[in-house]
Amino acid sequence: MNRRVGIIGVGMSKFGKRQDVTVRELAWEAVKEAFEDAGLTQKDIQLTVIGSTAYRGTEIYPAPPVSEYCGLVGKSPIRVEAACATGSSAIFTAVNAVASGMVDIALVIGVDKMTEVDTATSLAIGGRGGNYYWEFHMYGTTFPTYYALYATRHMALYGTTEEDMALAAVKAHKYASYNEKAHFRNKITVEDVLKSRVVSWPIKLLDSSPISDGAAAAIIASEEKIRELKIDTPIWIRGMGYGSDTSYIAARGEWVGLKAARDAAYMAYKMSGYTPQDIEYATVHDCFTIAEIMAYEDLGFVEKGKGPSLLREGQTEKDGKVAVNLFGGLKAKGHPLGATGVAMAYEIVKQLREEAGPVQHSFKKYVALSHNVGGTGHYAYVFIYNR
Amino acid sequence: MVMEGIPLILKYTLPAEELYKPFWEGLKRGEVLGTKCKHCGTVYFPPQRDCPKCMVSDMEWFNVGKEGVLMTYSIVKQKPQGFEQYEDYTIGIVRTEKGVDLMCWVIGKPRVGAKVSLTSDGNRVLCGVRE
Repeated sequence: MNRRVGIIGVGMSKFGKRQDVTVRELAWEAVKEAFEDAGLTQKDIQLTVIGSTAYRGTEIYPAPPVSEYCGLVGKSPIRVEAACATGSSAIFTAVNAVASGMVDIALVIGVDKMTEVDTATSLAIGGRGGNYYWEFHMYGTTFPTYYALYATRHMALYGTTEEDMALAAVKAHKYASYNEKAHFRNKITVEDVLKSRVVSWPIKLLDSSPISDGAAAAIIASEEKIRELKIDTPIWIRGMGYGSDTSYIAARGEWVGLKAARDAAYMAYKMSGYTPQDIEYATVHDCFTIAEIMAYEDLGFVEKGKGPSLLREGQTEKDGKVAVNLFGGLKAKGHPLGATGVAMAYEIVKQLREEAGPVQHSFKKYVALSHNVGGTGHYAYVFIYNR
Repeated sequence: MVMEGIPLILKYTLPAEELYKPFWEGLKRGEVLGTKCKHCGTVYFPPQRDCPKCMVSDMEWFNVGKEGVLMTYSIVKQKPQGFEQYEDYTIGIVRTEKGVDLMCWVIGKPRVGAKVSLTSDGNRVLCGVRE
């Protein structure tokens, strides 16, 4: 990057089935908090990047109504989309705009209102999250099916069990119970997960993240701007990486990990100078429980096939070797696609600033990572941060 | 607390049969065809008309093979719009004897590593578990 870039303000709406608001009020919840957090207002912002998949909402072009409602007209010329990694693609775009010198300060808004359509419609949209013509049209894939194909092979090759996967869901719900903004706040057991309805075997309802409404926002600024504004605790973006893979899942030749995520991680580690062993805290893309296990492996926290051991040994719990998703993860905090990547940044900032209350992880080096996957490994973004 | 929005009805038309006619004709005969670039030999499945590697659009159709191994699978219980009328179906990925990986519906009891034979119902690729 041409110049150092940091995050100076974050906000997040309550996630969940938000029938009390449209996409505009939802976005504002997050934007208002981010402004208050940074001590800034709209006049300080030069560029707004809005990440939204939008397809499940009535506002299928949400950027103009959102920017109008938030008082940002004239500052939001771009909306980006990368399926479930939309939020990170928005951060990536804003960071590049700041790092390049195009602007000194940018606002990222991630927002999606996904519950305005019914579940069957939502599944049919998600089922197109690969290749419509050669997958959905002929075979009736659903989004869980794609991850289930990975889960089945991971189980066959490495002996991963449905109980192992359930541990990721149990952990997510446990931590979400502390997060008043989470979609679900109930604790669950391994048995609850195993007994839940099979959606696309081996994935069951409680292996799956919910269909959520939500928004998150982050204010990104250059080092010069951060010094000028006298920000106390900026969170620096030290590394950034991206990866992608084929739309047609069969063409990947491997179904136990995501090459896109490994490529993104490699790039981010290299840029930052950190290694997997340096990471003390991570938000990983646990849209399904198998995805959290694969993330551990793809990020290099553990070798391929050994992901379940981190869960079994509790190494990804608070104050473990590398704490993961202590705000509840996509699984229990909720997964409004456009908001997710930005909500990951929100969580990292809160943790690194030590503002995470009951789920505060204890840091030594203050190094954290976010991992956001789009589609079923079609896109991936990894960011590495420090304080 | 909620009001109904105006429905958005999306009806699509596709250039399906015409664009990849030999593929669909092959399926009707129970054969699965991909394309191969005559210029550089790159194999495409799903079939492509154009080869982005060498920029040439001169393809030949080839049979991806009849036998294969089931690499992975999932049993779809909660079906999406358009598939509600089906019984539970099993989606698999098969690696054929010629090394082509493709999606199909699995007929019979699935197992990772099982030997399978490719067939078709005319609309999609099927694979029958042989053991």
